[in-house]
Amino acid sequence: MPDGSFAHPQQRQFNPYTDNGGTILAIAGADFTVIAGDTRQSEGYSIQTRYAPKVFRLTDRAVLAVNGFAADGNMFVKKVKQRLEWYRHAHAKDMPLRAIARLIQTMLYAQRFFPYYVYNILGGIEEDGSGAVYSFDPVGSYEREACRAAGAAQSLVQPFLDNQIYFKNQKAAPGTSHPTHLPLSDVLSIVIDSFTSATERHIEVGDGLEIYVVVARGRSPQGIEGIRGVQELSAQPNGDRTFILRRELKKD
Amino acid sequence: MATASVYSGPGFDFTNEVRNNFLTERGIPLPKATSTGTTIVGCLFKDGVILGADTRATEGPIVADKNCEKIHYITDNIRCCGAGTAADTEFTTALISSNMELHSLSTGRKPRVVTAMTMLKQMLFRYQGQIGAALVLGGVDVTGPQLFTIHPHGSTDKLPYVTMGSGSLAAMAVFEAQWKPNMERAEALDLVCAAVSAGIFNDLGSGSNVDACVITASHTETLRNFVKPNERVQKERSYTFRRGTTEWTKEDVRALVVEEDITHITGGRGAEEAMDTS
Amino acid sequence: MNSFLTRYSSTAPEADIRKAKELYGEDEDFSEVMWGSTGGFGNLASGVPMFKLPSVQDPASFLRMHTDDHADPSCRIKIKHGTTTLAFRFQGGVIVAVDSRATAGSYVASGTVKKVIEINPYLLGTMAGGAADCQYWETYLGIQCRLHELRNRERISVAAASKYLSNLVYSYKGMGLSMGTMICGWDKTGPAIFYVDSDGTRLKGDLFSVGSGSTFAYGVLDQGYRWDLTDEEAQELGRRSIYAAGHRDAFSGNTVNLYHVKQDGWKFIGNYDVSELHYNGPGDVPGAPGGGYGYDIRVAGRTSANPPEGEGQA
Repeated sequence: MPDGSFAHPQQRQFNPYTDNGGTILAIAGADFTVIAGDTRQSEGYSIQTRYAPKVFRLTDRAVLAVNGFAADGNMFVKKVKQRLEWYRHAHAKDMPLRAIARLIQTMLYAQRFFPYYVYNILGGIEEDGSGAVYSFDPVGSYEREACRAAGAAQSLVQPFLDNQIYFKNQKAAPGTSHPTHLPLSDVLSIVIDSFTSATERHIEVGDGLEIYVVVARGRSPQGIEGIRGVQELSAQPNGDRTFILRRELKKD
Repeated sequence: MATASVYSGPGFDFTNEVRNNFLTERGIPLPKATSTGTTIVGCLFKDGVILGADTRATEGPIVADKNCEKIHYITDNIRCCGAGTAADTEFTTALISSNMELHSLSTGRKPRVVTAMTMLKQMLFRYQGQIGAALVLGGVDVTGPQLFTIHPHGSTDKLPYVTMGSGSLAAMAVFEAQWKPNMERAEALDLVCAAVSAGIFNDLGSGSNVDACVITASHTETLRNFVKPNERVQKERSYTFRRGTTEWTKEDVRALVVEEDITHITGGRGAEEAMDTS
Repeated sequence: MNSFLTRYSSTAPEADIRKAKELYGEDEDFSEVMWGSTGGFGNLASGVPMFKLPSVQDPASFLRMHTDDHADPSCRIKIKHGTTTLAFRFQGGVIVAVDSRATAGSYVASGTVKKVIEINPYLLGTMAGGAADCQYWETYLGIQCRLHELRNRERISVAAASKYLSNLVYSYKGMGLSMGTMICGWDKTGPAIFYVDSDGTRLKGDLFSVGSGSTFAYGVLDQGYRWDLTDEEAQELGRRSIYAAGHRDAFSGNTVNLYHVKQDGWKFIGNYDVSELHYNGPGDVPGAPGGGYGYDIRVAGRTSANPPEGEGQA
């Protein structure tokens, strides 16, 4: 037995973390935000489940995607939801998106010396009606961005997004300029293609895709209701509206 | 006979071993070899043996090849599936294939599966597991259908149904549930497909298509991409770029054809001038 | 902070209290201070926040094992590193310039990080080291500065603010915080810069640069620095120094953020793309010489790599 030899001193340490794979991504539009994640949960070379949601609806205008260590992620989402409910009881309204972002920072930083192994992306609609994406590191540093990918296939998807959303390394045609915000239909296509491509080239991505779309109050949902398999989650149609769109991904 | 100083002996070159160990200790790991995460299987049936393999090759968590070939040719009546380090399985089977051909030429007999198995295990044992090849060897010879597994350290098994690679447990589960002796060809082929598919869908290291190879006493049939359960889907958008998308800082156009003005000089006058230049 | 030492020592009486709390299932996360509007930072105003610690012998080495990507590149939690920041004092106030790149190992995790933290209208903090540590504690410092204003009816001095931060991070010494920051501002004494880091160092000075690209920035900064720089010259020097670091340091780059602190508080001057600066310069900006910062322009036609027209094309 090569590993049974005592040639080297052996050390055992407390290791409460594991990586459960998967990828999440969010893109902000002018008056909408798209937040998506695959549904595979894996450990090593084994699939634990083909359907474990990584994207969660927090309020009418906020959606949180959580990636990394699933146990930490689920517990974290549970605690965020609990804090948001307390806020509702105390103030009789939903917490605004930027406040949720700050709340997530303080909650992550409270675990600075025993971090949650999670990468969070918060998406939704700001109080001014603009689409917003906030991305976090495991200990709570955050920034507002227009798009962000995280998780196993981050290094595959983010460069693609940089090119297609920020138009990095693309020179506009003479006399024109790149649009600052893309229409919803384009964003949805880019999100779906990101995941089908990540599924092809990353072994930990696949099985299913869940896409949440939050559209600002009073804005046109830009034909999303007509897309195959779309389901509306919002309770009142005159506020901010949330839709969910599900797609199958390859299962190998 | 004196040899040039650049001469290195046959076999592997170990000159960088000490350096690489030093670098590893200093926290610079060796570059990762492409490994075939892999599900490979083999099973006996009434008329012979069937080998099966998936077609995914990985580098860590990244799919390096979506449709690689893992069933390697040894001789006309013998094939070998490889799992482990892609380069090791490919070169080991190629070397043994070559030696098997020479062996059969020198003995004048049809090659036997045990011969290939012995050559492989002896080579792998000699390298003490450093050659990362886990193999499923199958074929039909004068002694009938034969099926072996060979582990990287050189140990072998002879069994009626075998699996190897990271998807071996998923595939073996199917065999254990459904395999029976003396199956018909179609039934056995379905079983092999089911076993490899179990690996493809349940093991992250395996994926894409099912390759199979049916070897009988009279004929060897290679079924490349026998089942394709994971076809690429159509993308939502087309990603062609307008001409002139990439910016440049400098443009430099050069003529590849060099044009020269040549003055043809004829007669005595030209000869005189030519003399001047000497 | 002694409470942190006692919290994980198994002999102290606090350990018994902790065990008792575990037994009765009291969870800090659900304590009353988290309710309603006191949620989040609300409870911070009443004292130093509490942190969860892993139940191991040595939480600091536990944290190092899982987060330090220098010792172990395969560790799971990658904390963002890599930076160039600078600040200098001159006749016209303080110039603060930073890059915007965050790296996790060799991956560029973000190119749009705000490394200048606006503590309040008169105070700026810079970010180097752990992004979360800087963001969180400088925000926290902002709260304390505001409380100081309310209590004392005057703005906090830069010295006091930086000392507050320095004392705070020193109480966590050895626990794994990673910060290298410059607290910049204008108070009764005029423009001031204090360098504060997580080792507990606190230095007053005229000119600092912090981060992996600081050596490159210092090269340009030292060469061009004078006390009597005009505002425009000073801004150009800050911009040019961060550009130099972004150009030569792989862990710095993307864009430059430039701030100028004057008597009436700080002002954001601009955001400049490093490769845009290289090829085309900052555009029509006072103090800029015009043209790109890259030296291709300056050597055009004068070197063998950049031969004059017609030459080298035989």
